[in-house]
Amino acid sequence: MSVKPFQIRGRFFTAVALRPEGDADQAFYDALDVQLRHTPNFFANAPFVIDLEQTDSLTEARDLVRLIEEMRHRKLSVFGVQNGTATQTATAVKAGLISLPSGRDVPVDRVERSVRQAPEMPDEAPEAPQPASLLITEPVRSGQKIFADRGDLVVVSSVGAGAELIAVGNIHVYGHLRGRALAGVNGDTTARIFCQGLDAELLAIAGLYRTSEDLGPAIRKQRVQAFLMDDKLCVEPLK
Amino acid sequence: MAKIIVVTSGKGGVGKTTSSAAISAGLAMRGFKTVVIDFDVGLRNLDMIMGCERRVVFDFINVIQGDAKLKQALIKDRRLENLFILPTSQTRDKDALTRDGVEKILNELREEFDYIICDSPAGIERGAHLAMYYADEAIVVTNPEVSSVRDSDRVLGLLNSKTYLAEKGGDNTVRSHLLLTRYDTQRVARGEMMTVEDVLEILAIPLLGIIPESSTVLRASNVGMPVVLDEKSGAGKAYEDAVSRLMGDQIEMRLDSGERPGFFQRLLGRTA
Ligand SMILES: Nc1ncnc2c1ncn2[C@@H]1O[C@H](COP(=O)(O)OP(=O)(O)O)[C@@H](O)[C@H]1O
Ligand SMILES: [Mg+2]
Repeated sequence: MSVKPFQIRGRFFTAVALRPEGDADQAFYDALDVQLRHTPNFFANAPFVIDLEQTDSLTEARDLVRLIEEMRHRKLSVFGVQNGTATQTATAVKAGLISLPSGRDVPVDRVERSVRQAPEMPDEAPEAPQPASLLITEPVRSGQKIFADRGDLVVVSSVGAGAELIAVGNIHVYGHLRGRALAGVNGDTTARIFCQGLDAELLAIAGLYRTSEDLGPAIRKQRVQAFLMDDKLCVEPLK
Repeated sequence: MAKIIVVTSGKGGVGKTTSSAAISAGLAMRGFKTVVIDFDVGLRNLDMIMGCERRVVFDFINVIQGDAKLKQALIKDRRLENLFILPTSQTRDKDALTRDGVEKILNELREEFDYIICDSPAGIERGAHLAMYYADEAIVVTNPEVSSVRDSDRVLGLLNSKTYLAEKGGDNTVRSHLLLTRYDTQRVARGEMMTVEDVLEILAIPLLGIIPESSTVLRASNVGMPVVLDEKSGAGKAYEDAVSRLMGDQIEMRLDSGERPGFFQRLLGRTA
């Protein structure tokens, strides 16, 4: 058995995408400054990619180099481009950036959280796993959507009609569940939904769902769990 | 420094403007210098309910756009020494409201008033958003029926996320109170409307008051008088109690029938 002097690990980070629409001209930089003034320190040290989807310019090396310099000057740590044309991408690679696949958009407040955490992560404990579950202690109101994108979702309150809970893992609600709950959204058929009072509009596990209409009156307002058995979504009272 | 209170609901026609008028009059009667602002651009209503529609020269939007000074647009109530109204425009639309403009006016008003009451338009769009944005407290006006409760729940979510205090992310959040209006004990008894307990169970915020359905409300608004000024009105009395609770007084809830709903009193004793 040999000991390697390093380890290689896959690691996920949240990056911020800057998507210019048109030329990176003075108006663009002015608008960028206005944005940064509104949210000072918000983006400091955040990993940035330039999303070229909405612009045809920035094909010239000097324009792109200027954009990179201007961003770095504003403490925006740009490291890659995406969605560029062949010419744009080639220029970017020459300028020292890497070309990235498209990625997925998330609300910027979630980016804010991970960005804010980033600089605080201690170097000496790189292995400390982030908790994968998401804990919500306030009532989830109609129109709100909560997404536990890596594990369980635990709500220690009620969930209003018209609210939506989504989790890669299980969903636990220690209050009335009146909205929608979708567990195992990445296809985990062992995921379950638990709640203290069932009045849900919809329950779904790994894509199989039942709506309030076919949940029936017998289990209404009961403490229940929902799970999949033989490709069927079962809802049973908790004893 | 003034306290900014938004009167909001999501749903239209539930009694926001009626409540804004009654509560600001109630505050003024207690000696607080109070201004009530109509955020419902395009649907001037508040000045009518306050009986000053014939005295409107300049409005909120004129002030935002710099066409008039705030002092010129504020209308002093003829009955109550401490009460002022900032009417809205009937001819413009909600796009004329800007966050900076609203902030500037509220800052100016904060210097001079004890309470600033913002009468929100229905919906959750720009006008409603700006009405709640700078609020310290919110009075969520709800009728005891499913769609109104649902909309109030939605608005509570926005109060917790889309306001200045929420975005700032400190310890201060917008304090929300429930004002249950148009409460008809007979229809509730017949099961046509939701009970207080049902509504409280869903919304889970402290109850500021229960305003009975009452013909005195319509009568008062027809003569342009906030209903608290009508001493014989049960609704007026209920608004007065609500104002007292807003001040932190512990006052027992009562319904217009005189019956005391002991259960929800205990269920959600005010934490104020
Ligand atoms: N407690 C009440 N009893 C009877 N009618 C009421 C009561 N509260 C409000 N109303 C009536 O309901 C209608 C809508 O009220 P309003 O205050 O304009 O609602 P909003 O501002 O929420 O749209 C008005 O005709 C008003 O007179
Ligand atoms: Mg109104």
